[in-house]
Amino acid sequence: MEKKLSVKNLVVSFRTPGGKVQAVRNISFDLNKGETLSIVGESGSGKSVTSKAILGILAGNSIIEGGSILYDGMDLLKIGEDEFYHIRGDRIAMIFQDPLSSLNPIMRIGKQLTEAMLLKGKAHNNYCARNYNEKYAEATKAIVDSGLMSQAEAEKLSDDAKKAQLGAVKRELTYNAAHENAVEAADEIEDILFHIEKNAFTDRKYTIRELIKLSEGAKDESVVSDAAKLDEVLGKLKSVYKAEIKENKDYPGVVSALNELSALMKEALGRKTPDFYSEAGVSREPVENFRKALEKACEHSGAKYLELKKQAVAVIDENRHVFEADVLNKVDTDAAGSKLKAAISASIDPMEIHKDGLAYTFAGNLDGNLKTYFEGIIKNKKAEKEHDKQQKKYDSLVARGKTPTWEVIPSAAVDLDVIKDTILLLIDRVKEHYEELIATFDQRNYAVEAEHFVEYLQENARGMSEKVTKEIAKYRALKLMEEVGISDVRKRYYQYPFEFSGGMRQRIVIAIALAANPDILICDEPTTALDVTIQAQILELINKIKRERNLSIIFITHDLGVVANMADRIAVMYAGKIVEVGTASDVFYSPAHPYTWALLSAMPDTETNERLEAIPGTPPNMIYPPVGDAFADRNKYALKVDFKKQPPMFKISDTHSAATWLLHPDAPHVDPPKAVTDRIERMKKKREEGETNG
Amino acid sequence: MADNDEVLLRVEHLCQYFKGNKAVDDVSFEIKKGEVFGIVGESGCGKTTTGRSIIRLYDITSGNVYFKGVRIAAGTRSYKENIKNAKATMGEGAKAYIEDQKALMAEAKRDHRKAKKLKAEDGKQKFITKIQMIFQDPIASLDPRMTVEQIIAEGLVIKGEKDKKLIEQKVYDVLERVGLVREHAGRYPHEFSGGQRQRIGVARAIIMDPELIIADEPVSALDVSIQAQVINLLDDLRHQMGLTIMFIAHDLSVVKYFSDRIGVMYYGKMVELATSDELFAHPLHPYTKSLLSAIPLPDPEYEKNRKRIVYDPLKAHDYSVEKPEFVEITPGHFVMGSPSEIASYKQELENS
Repeated sequence: MEKKLSVKNLVVSFRTPGGKVQAVRNISFDLNKGETLSIVGESGSGKSVTSKAILGILAGNSIIEGGSILYDGMDLLKIGEDEFYHIRGDRIAMIFQDPLSSLNPIMRIGKQLTEAMLLKGKAHNNYCARNYNEKYAEATKAIVDSGLMSQAEAEKLSDDAKKAQLGAVKRELTYNAAHENAVEAADEIEDILFHIEKNAFTDRKYTIRELIKLSEGAKDESVVSDAAKLDEVLGKLKSVYKAEIKENKDYPGVVSALNELSALMKEALGRKTPDFYSEAGVSREPVENFRKALEKACEHSGAKYLELKKQAVAVIDENRHVFEADVLNKVDTDAAGSKLKAAISASIDPMEIHKDGLAYTFAGNLDGNLKTYFEGIIKNKKAEKEHDKQQKKYDSLVARGKTPTWEVIPSAAVDLDVIKDTILLLIDRVKEHYEELIATFDQRNYAVEAEHFVEYLQENARGMSEKVTKEIAKYRALKLMEEVGISDVRKRYYQYPFEFSGGMRQRIVIAIALAANPDILICDEPTTALDVTIQAQILELINKIKRERNLSIIFITHDLGVVANMADRIAVMYAGKIVEVGTASDVFYSPAHPYTWALLSAMPDTETNERLEAIPGTPPNMIYPPVGDAFADRNKYALKVDFKKQPPMFKISDTHSAATWLLHPDAPHVDPPKAVTDRIERMKKKREEGETNG
Repeated sequence: MADNDEVLLRVEHLCQYFKGNKAVDDVSFEIKKGEVFGIVGESGCGKTTTGRSIIRLYDITSGNVYFKGVRIAAGTRSYKENIKNAKATMGEGAKAYIEDQKALMAEAKRDHRKAKKLKAEDGKQKFITKIQMIFQDPIASLDPRMTVEQIIAEGLVIKGEKDKKLIEQKVYDVLERVGLVREHAGRYPHEFSGGQRQRIGVARAIIMDPELIIADEPVSALDVSIQAQVINLLDDLRHQMGLTIMFIAHDLSVVKYFSDRIGVMYYGKMVELATSDELFAHPLHPYTKSLLSAIPLPDPEYEKNRKRIVYDPLKAHDYSVEKPEFVEITPGHFVMGSPSEIASYKQELENS
């Protein structure tokens, strides 16, 4: 499965007046394309900090001590603000927890919704156009390289393919717009007829005008082809609706006109999707030829870069020892580093559609880490003072013969040894990755790769041809508002945030996040402030959009019911660490960590009658992180070793692992609490009953 | 739990209009002594307004609220409307009726004023302070410039208690009762976590020795683990002190777990009222059904295949001919519906 985002060994701390707080302590996870990863945990467990690190919006007093977040060939922890402009909101969007502070109080809702669409629309056009032209240039070069044809021939081939593709895409876009209008118009007609029948037809002028506009938009040779008939019906509707609305009767004329219109739309929607190439009057041939040439080019460049990759691995083997020294030497590491960087940059295959994050970010990461190593972090007097105070406290405890249950955090944000380890890890990871690629080289399918390449180009062609005007933006905003369950949208569009209730504001925030059509959506407790019906509605909406756009979602929440609905995989976080990770059925049907048990048993469902098992106490103060397992103090199943040593991740199955000493082979066998096992039993029984009944 | 039938609070035809916006419209229910009465509904349906109207944070538009048989709040709008209608329709003969209504209105106004000054049985406390409220937001509902002791003791001070030793002792007692310690008394609210702050809110309510607590979404701002702590606390207090609780929430699993009876509200109206087991076993009103179908459960298989029932009042009801009424369909189970709907609900109950 394609990895969209991968977080590796992320460590984030905050400098506070009381000392350094370790908010996220070395977490790693991957997010695959089209999946929902849920992060569950109490407030203060570091889930929001993780998501904010991904978006680069951590608070000013935060220190990113280590790790990397790879996305589309970039390390999000290393890139600058300029590059983030193209990512934030456009490709990674976030639904914030607090609707009060995430809306601008002095801007109308409509403007806030369309602002991003208009700005990002233009940016998206440019971005796609750049991608499109770059990829074509690279493909042409690769075709020439493969020796299939001369430079001039290859250029002509790709120019022809470009022309044909753009023509077809333009036709596709006009067809899509018309088709969408027809669908909308059909819905609208049904709605109006229903309301007339129920005697509840209000807001008439708007709806009829909207309908006329939609119907006119549906005129297209492959949608509503009979333009004359459509004009005739619409003319009839226009002539009767004003008079009938004034008289406020049963609207007989409107109903008959609507029925005619409805028949027209239904006929249009029953048609097959046409072939866009033939409709646009261009031939499909150049694109086909181009694809065939690409197949050869991919094969050639794959073999060529395989050699380079092998060379890169050799270079790594040769130079790794420089970074293994106890104290790094600047001259040596610089020399070895530039060799490594050159070898790895040279081995990146430009014909790969999915950017290889590790290789792309290698140079920047290596430079950054070497820089911090040699320059060190500028010393912070305040932090040192705090550190001394803590050390004193610790020493006095030891002097009195006690063993403190917490450890002292070093005052410097970075430890030189840790950086050295990070550098080695960086090199090893690339090497491992390359070795894997070399080993699986035979399994590459060039026909499929060429297909993907053409698809990618098509997508970008669509992106660069699709223009977002003010009118379209408004129309989309209104539709989005309706989708998130806001009634009376035309009035609401012109209101200010203070005129909305909390739940309504949250829905606007969700609509804004969805408006940009992102690649990854981060939802930070999006439905916590909403009631069940709206919550269910919003979750369905997010799921629907996920399916339609193959979106990847990071869903942060503390509500396990919501998690069960949304998640494909679940990561349970506690005190800055991931304590359990697995698929939804792993975590819900066979939970392994005591903290997961506690969360599950603290939550009542509709059949709970026993007293709830609350988790005693509160999460630990992360200025003084505990020596052992952070959850040990609140855990009634804690073993002695839990207070002394942090448990590693134990693997239960391929998808499921948990960090608890209970999974150690020497640990005593402990069953989950009764409330949890009972519920799992009950759910199982219910499902079986459902199966036999249905 | 609620073995006796002593009615502690009775709400009759409560209406609360804000500039023509009918926040609460003709809601009637009774709360028996010792029970937990839950109110559920989506945001903006008037649950909070109902609670606030009972403790007279608003002057109600019309209807009556009786606490232990005493009318503590009365609205006058219904009388005014009756008089207006009578003038328009009845003509000359309406005089006596209008006088009658005027007298009733004057009495309502008098009662309304009198209830403010009425003392409780012990003669010190005001009668109305026997109803206390716990608010939703544990951060916004505590004054950040007051210590916990000041916050908790404020009610006693207003009541006229001057003995500082006694106040201190009482504060310590309630602090321990809600699971905090004496040392917390001198601290400020910002030093506490959300769950602890909500405990302070509970302590402030129970120090007045109330008989009825109106808990307005006391756990919806809290994490799951802390939520369980606060619910367990309320449950313990209720058994120890014999409290009656009106529990307003939108989380149906919590309401089901905690309440004896549940009222479902939709757009200012109460649409169904039954014991919690009955309501979950045999929901009748389409809105209740849609609400129950939306409850998230910790079961991924079930969740992925869940069919949510959508409630659209226009499609579900036809009230153009028959007007809906709030009818007791089986003992203790009330539902809102037109006569034909009620008949079909009855049929449904028999079939199940």
